[in-house]
Amino acid sequence: MDNFLQDLRYGARALIKNPGFASVAVIALALGIGANTAIFSVVNAVLLRPLPYQNPDQLVMVWETSLARGLERNPASPVNYADWREQKQIFDHIAGWWYPQINLTDDYGEPERVRTIDVTDEFFSVFGVQPLLGRTFLQGEDRRDAEPVVVLSYNLWQRRFGGDASIVGKAIRLDGTPYSVIGIMPAGFSFPEDIEVWRPLGWDPTQHSRNARFFDVVARLKPDVTIERAQAEMTALARRFEKEYPQSNTDWGVTLVGLHDQIVGRVRPALLVLLGAVGFVLLIACANVANLLLVRAGAREKEVAIRMALGAGRFRLIRQFLTESVLLAMLGGALGLALAFLGGRLLMAINPIDIPRADEAGIDLRILGFTLAVSLLTGLIFGIVPALQFSRPDLNSTLKEGGRESRAGSSGRRIRSALVVSEIALALMLLVGAGLLLKSFFRLQGVNPGLNPANVLTLNLQLPFSNYSDWRQVSNFYAQLTDRIEALPGVTSADVTGFLPLESGWRLRFAIPDRPPTPPGEELVAQYHQVSPGYFRTLGIRLLAGRELTDHETADSPGVVIINEAMARRYFPDEDPVGKRLTSSVRSIGPLARYLPATIEYEIVGIAGNVKNDGLGRAVEEAIYFSHRQFPYRSMSLVIRTNASPLSLLGAVRDEIWAMDKALPVSDVKTMEELLADSMAESRFSTLLLGLFAALALVLASVGIYGVLSYSVAQRKHEIGIRMALGAGQGDILKMVVGQGLVLVAIGLVTGAAAAFGVTRLIRTLLYEVSATDTETFVIVSLLLGAVATLASYIPARRATKVDPMVALRCE
Amino acid sequence: MPSSDRPMIRLEGLRKVFFTDEMETHALSGIHLEIDSGDYVSISGPSGCGKSTLLAILGLLDSPTEGDYWLNGHPVAELSPIERARIRNREVGFIFQSFNLIGDLTVFENVELPLIYRGLPREERKRNAREALDRVDLSHRATNRPAQLSGGQQQRVAVARALAGRPSILLADEPTGNLDSVNGEAVMELLDDLHKEGATICIVTHDARYARHADRVINLFDGQVVEEIPKAAAAAN
Repeated sequence: MDNFLQDLRYGARALIKNPGFASVAVIALALGIGANTAIFSVVNAVLLRPLPYQNPDQLVMVWETSLARGLERNPASPVNYADWREQKQIFDHIAGWWYPQINLTDDYGEPERVRTIDVTDEFFSVFGVQPLLGRTFLQGEDRRDAEPVVVLSYNLWQRRFGGDASIVGKAIRLDGTPYSVIGIMPAGFSFPEDIEVWRPLGWDPTQHSRNARFFDVVARLKPDVTIERAQAEMTALARRFEKEYPQSNTDWGVTLVGLHDQIVGRVRPALLVLLGAVGFVLLIACANVANLLLVRAGAREKEVAIRMALGAGRFRLIRQFLTESVLLAMLGGALGLALAFLGGRLLMAINPIDIPRADEAGIDLRILGFTLAVSLLTGLIFGIVPALQFSRPDLNSTLKEGGRESRAGSSGRRIRSALVVSEIALALMLLVGAGLLLKSFFRLQGVNPGLNPANVLTLNLQLPFSNYSDWRQVSNFYAQLTDRIEALPGVTSADVTGFLPLESGWRLRFAIPDRPPTPPGEELVAQYHQVSPGYFRTLGIRLLAGRELTDHETADSPGVVIINEAMARRYFPDEDPVGKRLTSSVRSIGPLARYLPATIEYEIVGIAGNVKNDGLGRAVEEAIYFSHRQFPYRSMSLVIRTNASPLSLLGAVRDEIWAMDKALPVSDVKTMEELLADSMAESRFSTLLLGLFAALALVLASVGIYGVLSYSVAQRKHEIGIRMALGAGQGDILKMVVGQGLVLVAIGLVTGAAAAFGVTRLIRTLLYEVSATDTETFVIVSLLLGAVATLASYIPARRATKVDPMVALRCE
Repeated sequence: MPSSDRPMIRLEGLRKVFFTDEMETHALSGIHLEIDSGDYVSISGPSGCGKSTLLAILGLLDSPTEGDYWLNGHPVAELSPIERARIRNREVGFIFQSFNLIGDLTVFENVELPLIYRGLPREERKRNAREALDRVDLSHRATNRPAQLSGGQQQRVAVARALAGRPSILLADEPTGNLDSVNGEAVMELLDDLHKEGATICIVTHDARYARHADRVINLFDGQVVEEIPKAAAAAN
């Protein structure tokens, strides 16, 4: 212990004596350790920390799966759910829900849209979470004839009701209907995502169509049931249902996904890639500091020889070297922790992709332990090489040499060169990764969405069923509203749609008359959109054939639709679809449609250009555009083309809406350009972060090569003097030093490119239309790194040309 | 180019002052010197008298503070570093006390080095280097590293390197300073032979035995030429 303290004191003194060296090393390490800690704090919160529910490993999401239709995790049919509920040998509790769109009106504030789900009675039992105030739903409380009650989230309770405990027992109005508040959930519970109101289902799942799949299902497995066993039993059940209900269940299976995996699975690859990236940054920082230590240890060789001559053992010297390097790493770790704290807050502040659970990220004991372990390990990694090398000097020659020059000639040079080569290779791997993501991002940005997004305002309205239960009333409301908005100065045109572009509309089955009926499991399915007549013109969507919808198409006139190009190509490849017919039943969709005929025949009157309806990076799905007058929907999005800044018209638009119904909340206000940008947020975020770390790696690697060459020039001053005496010009010296750097860079680039070739496969899932081994990216990034490294070599090379041969030779 | 009707080297009123923080050191003052082609000159004097500074200025490693320097009739006192490097490479061959061979290069590569800087074609370079090594009887050690040679052999390699470029003048700064007497004498004999073959040599030494090998002995004291002794007189002394 005494020896250790002595080593520590000596190490601290040595660092204080070399403040330049110490600061450079500590900053390099702080950047590396800080980046690791910041990303690890997110990984810890998102991937490692268990969900805050009782026995979270027993929680699963239950999806229906139809690989034939390309649907891996599809919501379930409520009827199938009702059958699963009977599987008492598998599930302790199982609950389902769906998303109605609800407006909240009360005496506490303006009407607003609240995120609501309608759940079955076991919902809260699945999670085993107790309410903060009041109670949750009782068994049977989800029936149609039960009393109207709701449970509120902590956030809504605080935000809207100021944490007033007396709200429990009082009524609030949802879509105009009064509901008693029976409980408040604790802070942090908002399952499935940012939910503010939980309302009992209010209808019988068994009375629905087995064909309609819109029900999300979560379940708690019995304690002795593994997810594999549950999966096997549910698969067997699905097989049985296929036989029993071939019309609705052919080719439909069941997939169980652990709840944790379900919540964070989407971001896991990106987070792991980032964790790998910061690991590389730390390794580069280590290589840099190891190089600095080698240089410094070289200068201390005589001191080491004297210590050994006085009887210090090799182990004792190694320990002293390592104590110093660990001390450095700890200082770097402390500063890194502070950087991570600030960086983490910044990261969360800009969290544009809504990383699930990221708000739980913070510095806790595990993070402190991680930083401590990384710092220790880092100190050992960069300290061990210099410690081993300089703890066995050739005593006789070192002492005789008078300390003029380091003995560690070629082997020291080789180690330093190897470290620089590793830095270049690691930096190249990171840069290639960032380059691929950047190219992918640009590709995504270059995707034609199929519409003109400039100067378009979008917003969403939800007409409550209590006031708008007549479908003609609904379509008339929207028709009048768009007329009023179109009359506003600055508005070119205004229309409505059931689903905005990129919003993944819902799907419905259809059939093409005069063609043989499709067998079960191979039904024709397309996305549907209900739009007003000018929708295509307002959004600048091309009409490829036929005509637009008109105001004359009403509930009483023959059905007409426009289909998109993808649908025309797929179902009418060799014929003109215009004038052809298709049939569909929309009666099961929403409460208004129940008044429509069971099956309606529609004439295809036009073909619209493809619009990216599932996201910019995904293929266009087949889509049918109905007239909103023939397929009414209470929740519609307004699309308003303006000849001024779209958001500047929001006030006037809102006034028109409230002039028609002052209780209507306006939600999801965005320009179309914002919607497009949002759809690329995830790509932009991972590109930005990886780019940031790659830039850091580039700087560290450049500093590394600069440091090695600077040291080399200092060591070779005498040799450079000789060369100049022999007639070497400045150009010759410049070429020699830069050449030395370029050799290292070239080896690093080749090694790095080979390694990157293997490693970039890991980010394949994050790329869009870019191969993980994209030659162009590899070449450009190598050239960039080569250029920066050459510049880093050039500075010491310039210094070498300034060597005064007289001075260099006089040193002799 | 050497010319028969003018000296190869002519110094007039040469001064060299070193400026440090608080003082000026006059290393050379008022030096007038002429060296003709084929001369063998020795510069002698006690430590700190300015011998090496004078040699460095002669070899264009350093420049005078004042005064004129003509090499082969061309003024060279105020040339750019690039010009100085070019003339040094073509006109001057250096031999140093501590040999100054480059440890990472082989004997052959060391000899070849100035020819590389001159930009000679590969074949010519190799031929000249081989001839220079032959001249000092070290062809058999061409692939060795300097560290594998004795001190005397290393200095002979340095002489070969100085010769390889066929310079106008050989400048030797205490060439025997790091050698024992036998090897020292051998190196001096080699220089004598080269002189007999027509080489112009200027040697700095403080050892009177070796100074006597020269045709002229120039004695410096406190940066000034205090005496110039022709060979016969030097031998008599």
